[in-house]
Amino acid sequence: MSYQWRTVFEYLPEFLDAMGLTLWITLQAFLLALVCGLVAALARNSRWVMFRLLAGAYVEVIRNTPVLLQIFVVFFALPSVGVRLDAVTAGVVAIGVNVGAYLCEVFRAGISSVARGQGEAAQVLGLSPRQTFASVIAPQALRNVYPATVNNLIQVLLGTSLLTAIAVPELTGVATVINARTLLFVQVFALTLLLYLILSNALSFAAGLLGRVMFKPALDQARPGLWPLRRTRPSAIPVEVSS
Amino acid sequence: MTATANGATIGSNVQLRAVTKAFGAVEVLKNIDLEVEDGEVVVLIGASGSGKSTLLRIMSGLETADSGQVFVGGIPMHEPKRAPEIRGHVGMVFQQFNLFPHLNAMGNVTLALRKVLKMSTNEAEAVALKALTRVGMQDRCENYPSQLSGGQQQRVAIARALAVNPRIMFFDEATSALDPELVGEVTSVMRSLATEGMTMVVVTHEMGFAQRTADRVVFMDDGVIAEQGTPEQVLQNPQHPRTQQFLARVFEA
Repeated sequence: MSYQWRTVFEYLPEFLDAMGLTLWITLQAFLLALVCGLVAALARNSRWVMFRLLAGAYVEVIRNTPVLLQIFVVFFALPSVGVRLDAVTAGVVAIGVNVGAYLCEVFRAGISSVARGQGEAAQVLGLSPRQTFASVIAPQALRNVYPATVNNLIQVLLGTSLLTAIAVPELTGVATVINARTLLFVQVFALTLLLYLILSNALSFAAGLLGRVMFKPALDQARPGLWPLRRTRPSAIPVEVSS
Repeated sequence: MTATANGATIGSNVQLRAVTKAFGAVEVLKNIDLEVEDGEVVVLIGASGSGKSTLLRIMSGLETADSGQVFVGGIPMHEPKRAPEIRGHVGMVFQQFNLFPHLNAMGNVTLALRKVLKMSTNEAEAVALKALTRVGMQDRCENYPSQLSGGQQQRVAIARALAVNPRIMFFDEATSALDPELVGEVTSVMRSLATEGMTMVVVTHEMGFAQRTADRVVFMDDGVIAEQGTPEQVLQNPQHPRTQQFLARVFEA
């Protein structure tokens, strides 16, 4: 191995720490995004105009302004109204709220994609609207939006690199620091790219396995082509599970 | 008779008086009067758009009439506050089956038993197995809808409706989405239900079923009941020109 690569690999512990922080921020931000998305989707389908308007405003404002600016707002502007967050928390909040707006639209589409007859069948059987949503609509909606939701998880992961702008020591930020120190652009960024690839593939692989456990009958059997891993990353499929 | 939450009892008869329904400017039902007695099998026939499905949906509580009176099992469905009382006491079988795709056959049948009738899982499965046996699907409990043929799915849908012990069964073109060779397995289940005394209102294009099973055939045309009577009267010896025309076209096909 050449001298340059050896030098970069001496920084591997720093890279791995940064990778850990990236993953940690991703998981927290995604959890927040799921909550924001679900609440906003329910609010947008609400009977009350006020809820619909609020959720609509949230989605439109977030989706029509740059993420980087939203990160700056949370980190630099919120303290002036008394909300002081450290850089990592600010990053989690900004990215979670941002992706939540996209997930809201995904969830809304998922809910309306469930055939109307499903709700009618449940209604005649005597299920209350709440029971119908919980036992009939939501499980099917979840299954319909699962691949798109996994895409948003990856979007969160990649979005965390923007937090370098508020000096969060995540993967991209640490890479730029090591790059400045060593000036080994090619080696530093090649390694960083590789680490992102490992992270994103590991996440979608885990999501794919989770999907296999959660959804019966298996997604690919019920609806050909909807299996998230198979469609986007054919080689990542584990062994075929027979039903 | 089964008791509802507020102590009222639900019968097995239907009374419609001067029922009208419009979707926008289109009058789908014009002043419909219809009685279905306890244990009677009434078959609704007529061209597409004649209002038969809408009538069935009003009886099952999926639509509300614009005016007129609708009593189903004694419940005044035209009173918005009381209409929900019918839920869980009538069964509805849909053209598109509407089975829950994320649940297997057993799960489909037990859902309402567990959630609405608050049975334990064991209790619910015992009741569901009886219902599935009644439609000959006891060996397919573990299968998901996507793993069943159309006819099998519709039989599971019938079992799901039967399991809650409905007072009346409504069939909305239950065989129209099936391959011709699968129609028989569903109509034979429907016929056995009729033999067992179930009150049934059936919208169908299967004239053979109407002929053999109906106590009364009702011909609807353009939102009105044009003619009704025994299968022999309506199907063999129709009086109304529209009935004659309709039947001529059906038997031609």
